[in-house]
Amino acid sequence: MLAFFALPDLAEAGKSLILLHPVDMLIIGVYFAMVLGIGFYLRRYTRSGDDFFLAGREMTAWVAGLSFVSANLGALELMGWAAASYQYGILATHWYWIGAIPAILFLGLVLMPFYYISRTHSVPGYLQLRYGESTRGLSALSFAFMTVLMSGINMYAMALVMKVVLGWNIHFSIWVSSITVAVYVALGGLFSAIFNEVLQFFLIWLGAMLIPILGLVETGGWSGLVARIHQNFPQGDYTHLWRNMGHFAGNPMGIHWTGIVLGLGWVISFGYWNTDFLVVQRIFAAKDIRAAKMAPIIGSYFKMAVPFIVILPGLLGLALLPFRLVPESAVGVGQHSYNEVLPLMLARYCGPGLLGLGITALIAGFMSGMAGNVSAFATVWTYDLYRPFVNKRASDQHYVKMGRWCTILGVVVSIGTAYLVMHFGSIMDYVQALFSFFIAPLLGTVLLGMLWKRTTSAGGFWGLLAGSVSSITMFLLVKFNPRMLSVIALSRDAKDMAENMYRALWSWLICVIVTVVVSYCTKPKPVEQLTGLVYGCTKLPSEEHLPLWKRPIFWAGVSAVLFLILQWVFW
Amino acid sequence: MDDNLESTAKGEPVDPEPSPRAHHMIPVWFFVGIILLIYGLIILGTGIYEFSSPPPTVLAKLHPAIWWGALLTAIGGIYVYAYMPKKS
Repeated sequence: MLAFFALPDLAEAGKSLILLHPVDMLIIGVYFAMVLGIGFYLRRYTRSGDDFFLAGREMTAWVAGLSFVSANLGALELMGWAAASYQYGILATHWYWIGAIPAILFLGLVLMPFYYISRTHSVPGYLQLRYGESTRGLSALSFAFMTVLMSGINMYAMALVMKVVLGWNIHFSIWVSSITVAVYVALGGLFSAIFNEVLQFFLIWLGAMLIPILGLVETGGWSGLVARIHQNFPQGDYTHLWRNMGHFAGNPMGIHWTGIVLGLGWVISFGYWNTDFLVVQRIFAAKDIRAAKMAPIIGSYFKMAVPFIVILPGLLGLALLPFRLVPESAVGVGQHSYNEVLPLMLARYCGPGLLGLGITALIAGFMSGMAGNVSAFATVWTYDLYRPFVNKRASDQHYVKMGRWCTILGVVVSIGTAYLVMHFGSIMDYVQALFSFFIAPLLGTVLLGMLWKRTTSAGGFWGLLAGSVSSITMFLLVKFNPRMLSVIALSRDAKDMAENMYRALWSWLICVIVTVVVSYCTKPKPVEQLTGLVYGCTKLPSEEHLPLWKRPIFWAGVSAVLFLILQWVFW
Repeated sequence: MDDNLESTAKGEPVDPEPSPRAHHMIPVWFFVGIILLIYGLIILGTGIYEFSSPPPTVLAKLHPAIWWGALLTAIGGIYVYAYMPKKS
């Protein structure tokens, strides 16, 4: 979901944006000591494969839910979306509300019971149960490959941010942060990753929340903020979510509301939140099926609140900064880019101590994202590639050892990727695009597999392959012939963001059509082989004995109502 | 762990009890409390020092380090007290 963050030009990074004091360094040092200490402490509890890869399936709904949100709250996500809100205004909030909440609630209420009841360990593991080894292999290989590459790209981008913002040596940032993550995840596995993600969740919120609070005090509340933005930027509308989405040319993103609703709100969002193992793995660790359903629902409330610490600082930048930020490519001497809005606002309000807390929040965000990547990579590599295709009959201890080594291997590959991107920056664009190639079609494969018993193994495999290939084809078409954008996004006024939305939509549709057609041409599995995997063939536990306020459906309903109210308030 | 985990898919809901060792593990909330308490005290101390040497930040007159440090100390203290590992 990292869409906007562009790398600062290394050559331009002459001096740092923020100067840290010894007390700030002390705060950062305490953080590193704590996360490593947790890793060493949890090592004694990480003995079996279930412990290392699934945190023993002992997590409560709250722990799994906070970890679920935290794994997605990377530092570049925080800074990238704050930058996007400076550039596009409140439109960036779509990625947190319609681009997340419906999909998260769907995961909790509909998909999670099947993932949990099947007792699988990963999303590719579910695909093996439903479709067979070939679909699992295709999905696992693409996920493992892309996860470590993305981890490396994030690592490099974060190190670059630390150089620009704090003046830190880029190699120091890469090695210190990645070795810390490698140590604590290799020691404690998913236990350690989840514990640290909960810790990081608190640090991110408490480190970043002071900016919107003080910002709103300075502007005199929301109405004062809106008035100042209109005064500074009279020609644009930065404070309405839907009002200007009726035409591609009516908003700065160059996207139509259908692209936001169908491309982002449906395909990309449902694909990411329901099938990306990086986030879903946290819910697999829940202690029972009710906790597994409640965890994403709890997460939805916090996800809905994230714009307060991410989008609001960008809007405050529009209202309060005495100079205008510019795109990364246009930064001149003495100018700042959109990407620097969050550190600029941090430096505006936070003195020594608070500044250290804010920087720790960014470091924590980066490390939680990276830990999520490497723990998911270790699980998928060990259980979905190594065990079925290399060594089927090893002991549980052997797989745990493989998981620990995979964690270190994942970090090493990530570091290698970081250095590769350092020398060949354009790789970053391709890898980010590659990641999106598999998410949208995978949604079609998982949904049809869970909700339609007629789907066959061949249908699942060929649908997934066709969806991925069509997505790659559309990407290449636009790359080599930019005029194709208007064909794919259905408008001459469409911009890059619209291409992402519509490409996802078409590739999902192609996956679904191919899956349905091939399924009708091939023989389905007997119904008895689909129990625990498919809706209609599975007995789901009843919640009627629970009081209303303990039922997941009740809290999902409250979350949905809040979501609708927010759309109405900021329409 | 089951050597062939894939074969355990069943139609019946599975609702495992947490293992006893989960009850011996220090809860994550205690770690959260410890770090917030440490941070709260450091920031509170910085805030007190800033009465004599205010930082060059906007709204420094509101002394955010004092009340934010106090908030972190309070939250951290509550978590540490509530989730302190018990001797058994």
